[in-house]
Amino acid sequence: MATTEKMSKTTTPTHWDADIPVNYVYTYGLAGEAFFRAIKDRGTFLGTRCDACDITYVPPKAYCDRCLEALDKYIDVGTVGYVDTFTVSFKNMDGSEKPRPRILAMIKIEGTDGGIIHYLDGISIEEVALGLPVQAIFKPKAQRKGGIEDIIGFGPVKR
Amino acid sequence: MGMRKVAIVGAGITKFVRRAQETGKELSWQASKMALDSCGLTLDDVDMVTLGTAPDAFDGVHMKGEYLADGAGGCRKPYMRHYVGGGTGVFSPIHGWFHVASGMADICLVVAEEKMSSCHPHPQGAFLTIFDHTTEQPLKPTLIWIFALEMNRYMQAYGLSKADIARVSVKNKGNALDHPSAQVAEKITVEDVLASETLCWPVNRLDISPASDGAAAVVLASERVARRLTDKPVWIDGVGFSIDTAYWGTRDLSYPRYVETAARMAYDMAGIKEPAKEIHIAEPYDPFDYKELHHMEGLMLCPRGEAARLTAEGYTARDGNLPICPSGGALGVGNPIAATGLMKVIEIFLQLRGEAGKRQVPGKPTCGLAQAWGDLMQMGTVIVLRS
Repeated sequence: MATTEKMSKTTTPTHWDADIPVNYVYTYGLAGEAFFRAIKDRGTFLGTRCDACDITYVPPKAYCDRCLEALDKYIDVGTVGYVDTFTVSFKNMDGSEKPRPRILAMIKIEGTDGGIIHYLDGISIEEVALGLPVQAIFKPKAQRKGGIEDIIGFGPVKR
Repeated sequence: MGMRKVAIVGAGITKFVRRAQETGKELSWQASKMALDSCGLTLDDVDMVTLGTAPDAFDGVHMKGEYLADGAGGCRKPYMRHYVGGGTGVFSPIHGWFHVASGMADICLVVAEEKMSSCHPHPQGAFLTIFDHTTEQPLKPTLIWIFALEMNRYMQAYGLSKADIARVSVKNKGNALDHPSAQVAEKITVEDVLASETLCWPVNRLDISPASDGAAAVVLASERVARRLTDKPVWIDGVGFSIDTAYWGTRDLSYPRYVETAARMAYDMAGIKEPAKEIHIAEPYDPFDYKELHHMEGLMLCPRGEAARLTAEGYTARDGNLPICPSGGALGVGNPIAATGLMKVIEIFLQLRGEAGKRQVPGKPTCGLAQAWGDLMQMGTVIVLRS
């Protein structure tokens, strides 16, 4: 078959199905452990700061990726940020329509150089805009397991 | 060849463990930072970064070269990941050598990482699909099968017993007792190896290295920079690499021809005519005990079929005529694949500088080699170092 021909019968070659049977166990890591414990136990975000490079990482890193110095002092950076960019998802992976579109955003955390990707919650497509102030909404403490899904999403800032 | 001389000037290794709390990025960072600190450099001094790591399926992160880059100090720098299966760790400094020898970089940070504990229930699972999907995979071979076939072929070719081969495991696990990174250092006997459970005859549990998490790093420098940084540069005088076919029906499983080809490339470059005399110390890859013997022969460090006898006579012990795996090797220090190969290079680096501490071999060696091997028993990587 020439490369210019369109392959129209993809089922013609004899084939069989197989899979790669592995699954995974991931550790949080040094900085990840601190970050998710703070979310689970205290409902807040931690960051780390490199004074030499003048950069504050959220989520925290155990090292500065600019100079490789160890960063082991964790600072509470709060839960308020703003929408740096966003997208609206209309379809599921299988191509079916979502019951309601979901807004996924990069939230820059106030006073830091870092950000968290998460859903917006309680903010409509009409309301969302770059620069919109938002705040993290957590699951009730008893339901939190120490994962990114402990955060329901980001919603309007509580004054 | 119109290429510049390249030296290793610094090194760092994390502990090798069954499951690290650290992420792969954090392991890479620890090794990188140690290596830079060891020679008084900072990341600003580094022109380029290379990173070696084996299949993405181990860490469970696709494109893990890119994922690991920031821990390895690779961000906002010319950075590239290389991968040649189990041969990766010794290819790592070869990749860095290209960067410096060519004149493109004066200082290159070389990092090797593996976090095998992510792969569950065992990293073995990641190997099930390295076999030909039509002729082999339906038979459900495991990685140990193919080693068992090769080990048996090797034993038959030279009339070796399982005890002849078990001595390698005893030696290496014992040597590792003096290695600060070691995961499975142990004082054991040949009887212990023979009495450990048979996984796939003739391979018993203590014939095999463990799955591990760990990272290692070295700093390479051009001659001009190296002489400014240290009184004890260790020169990369030869590099070689070679791959054979994954169609293994036509291959002689009793002899690693691809290792010989890689070794000849490295020896030619280093001007080595009689490796058995000119190489004073070696770290061949030993994920299985018979592989150390197999590789000694492929590296032409002894006549074919003689490696087991030399081991039994103590010739390859740390205080023997030709110390083999004085680090403790993959069998003793542990086997986070890419990091193991680089750990071996670092062992030769430390030994040639006289800085191996309790592991230091006698006789002030001035020429050593490290070798790794991988893919479907088909990849050989060799590096020759001189003080």
